[in-house]
Amino acid sequence: MTGTTSGSGGKFRTSLPHDDPRHLIAHHFLNEEAALLDAAAWHLWLELLTPDITYLMPVRVTTMADTDPSTLGTHARMDHFAEDLYSLRKRVERLSGGHAWTEDPPSRTRHLVTNVRTFTAETDPPVPEPTGVGAVVEVESALLLFRSRGDDRPPEFLSAGRRDLLRHTEHGWRLAHRSVTVDESVLRTQNLAILL
Amino acid sequence: MRPGPAEEISAAIADGMIPAHVYGDPEVFELERRNLFPRTWVFLGHTSEIPHPGDFVLRRIVDDSFIVTRDDTGRIGVHLNMCLHRGMQVCRAEMGNTRMFRCPYHAWSYRNDGSLAGLPFHDEAYGGEEGLSRDRHRLVAPARVETYNGLMFAAVEDPGISLEDFLGDFRFYLDLYTAQSESGLELRGPQRWRVNANWKIGCENFVGDMYHTPYTHRSVVDIGLFREPKAHKRKEGVLYHCGVGGGTTYKLPPGDFTERMRYVGYPDIMIDRMAALWSEPQRRMVGDDGFMVSAATLFPNLSLVHNWPIVREGEDVVPFISLRQWHPVSATETEVLSWFAVDAEAPDDFKADSYKAYLMCFGSSGMFEQDDIENWVSITTAAAGSMAHRLQLNSRMGLLHDGGQVGRPLDDFPGPGFARVGYGEFNQRNWLQMWSRHLFPPGAGDTTGRDTGGER
Ligand code: FES
Ligand SMILES: [Fe+2]
Repeated sequence: MTGTTSGSGGKFRTSLPHDDPRHLIAHHFLNEEAALLDAAAWHLWLELLTPDITYLMPVRVTTMADTDPSTLGTHARMDHFAEDLYSLRKRVERLSGGHAWTEDPPSRTRHLVTNVRTFTAETDPPVPEPTGVGAVVEVESALLLFRSRGDDRPPEFLSAGRRDLLRHTEHGWRLAHRSVTVDESVLRTQNLAILL
Repeated sequence: MRPGPAEEISAAIADGMIPAHVYGDPEVFELERRNLFPRTWVFLGHTSEIPHPGDFVLRRIVDDSFIVTRDDTGRIGVHLNMCLHRGMQVCRAEMGNTRMFRCPYHAWSYRNDGSLAGLPFHDEAYGGEEGLSRDRHRLVAPARVETYNGLMFAAVEDPGISLEDFLGDFRFYLDLYTAQSESGLELRGPQRWRVNANWKIGCENFVGDMYHTPYTHRSVVDIGLFREPKAHKRKEGVLYHCGVGGGTTYKLPPGDFTERMRYVGYPDIMIDRMAALWSEPQRRMVGDDGFMVSAATLFPNLSLVHNWPIVREGEDVVPFISLRQWHPVSATETEVLSWFAVDAEAPDDFKADSYKAYLMCFGSSGMFEQDDIENWVSITTAAAGSMAHRLQLNSRMGLLHDGGQVGRPLDDFPGPGFARVGYGEFNQRNWLQMWSRHLFPPGAGDTTGRDTGGER
């Protein structure tokens, strides 16, 4: 049962049931990905991306409640990340090159991924089999990123929602799009020398 | 009588030494909060952030919150975000568009020019105009608000000098960033994040620290973000300092003005506009001498940066500009506000690529910025320790024991102020001397912000 329900908050989507094969695929993908990120296996992580990946993290702003809900709390014109494969690869090369001082000593991170909700995504042309090659699955998740460095600083947290598109390519399932909705307007982290 | 902290700091700095505790000492922060920030011109934002009547952004000077508005007639105004009745913050959004700010406590309402529009039960509670005359009430404003090239500044107390005079000849350099066409800049952002670093360290880094580039930023050179491995070429650039600002430059390969602007990635249509708008000495600095502006700081806490990375595999470089403010939160915490800035008349595809260049290099995720701030956090942690009161940091680069200098200022540099090729901490010392003069209470030091007797 996937569909929409209408409540006082407007349209609210219902996700696929948790025993749907697409949900199982998506959930598995996100957990494996988090394990790679926490192990700093950046190059393996890059292999999970489609060549046309778009990776966004808009800046959130504090706006009044009567602001246009479509832009609510998001700074439409500024991002923390607006990446493609080239820039993500450069970031990974930097982090693994031995001279990225801000990650030396490295952060100890834990990507806690939860609230996973999967949705069917239309494709053009439509794929006959919902999990066959060419299929796309949309998945939302909540992320709490714990980050600790050294021994004299308090740990940092980043809380965010993520909306991803996973595409079934001939090499397997790949991340084709990610948009990260961070829950703070002013980040309380020294930098984003990490991936979410 | 034992000299106070301001006297001790000034004396050390005059000798090129920095008492280490100034980067982590709450007592020094209190002097800055009381004596420096209210009494000089402080950057608040850019007019392109509030382009339409009713637009506003919320900005702070240390711990005071100000509403920066464009009123219904299009005028820029700055008002303290504090209700005249019982002190509630009348604006809780950091940006938006409104004709009226209504206080949530008892509903006094203020127009977007700060004037009091109305209050509930005016007659019954106050006896109408006889008890409280509305047109004599408006939100508190800083003593002065002025703009230059769209950059909006406020001075909480009158610094006794106009913004233009304060900027003085530093405008020569500021224009290179902020006036690339008649339309000036448009800003995107800011990204905001808080770091456990003292605000002064960023100011000093951007004003003149070319010396850190080869090592701190080694990783971005390693990954081929630039056309040439240029970190070690940093010492061929010129350091310039002029009144309230100073900065660093890169030396470009041979060529004329157009060729050198192309080298850093500007399209011809933008180059033509700059050639038409800039003065002959401004063009000469780039075209004849080959010095391209890089990082800069305007006293007290606004920095600028200009760089040109590769944004797509196998393609040429694209330049970007960022404005950034090191907003002081405490002695050991700074909120960084980092804007992407681009010439408003630039072609759309240039704007898109330049934005990408910015995100890769600076801001919350920027690959340069990450390693810079790592250093600054570490310094601040050490400076907050008690031993920091016994240590004076060596900021004497370029000075000899006998009072002589390593190298000397260029005498044929096209820009105002003084300039010299190569590494040196002349600019940092000038910035620090200006800063230390502002630690004194009114009347006890030179507080006009003018660089009256800086080092050359
Ligand atoms: S405090 Fe603002 S109306 Fe009373
Ligand atoms: Fe730097």
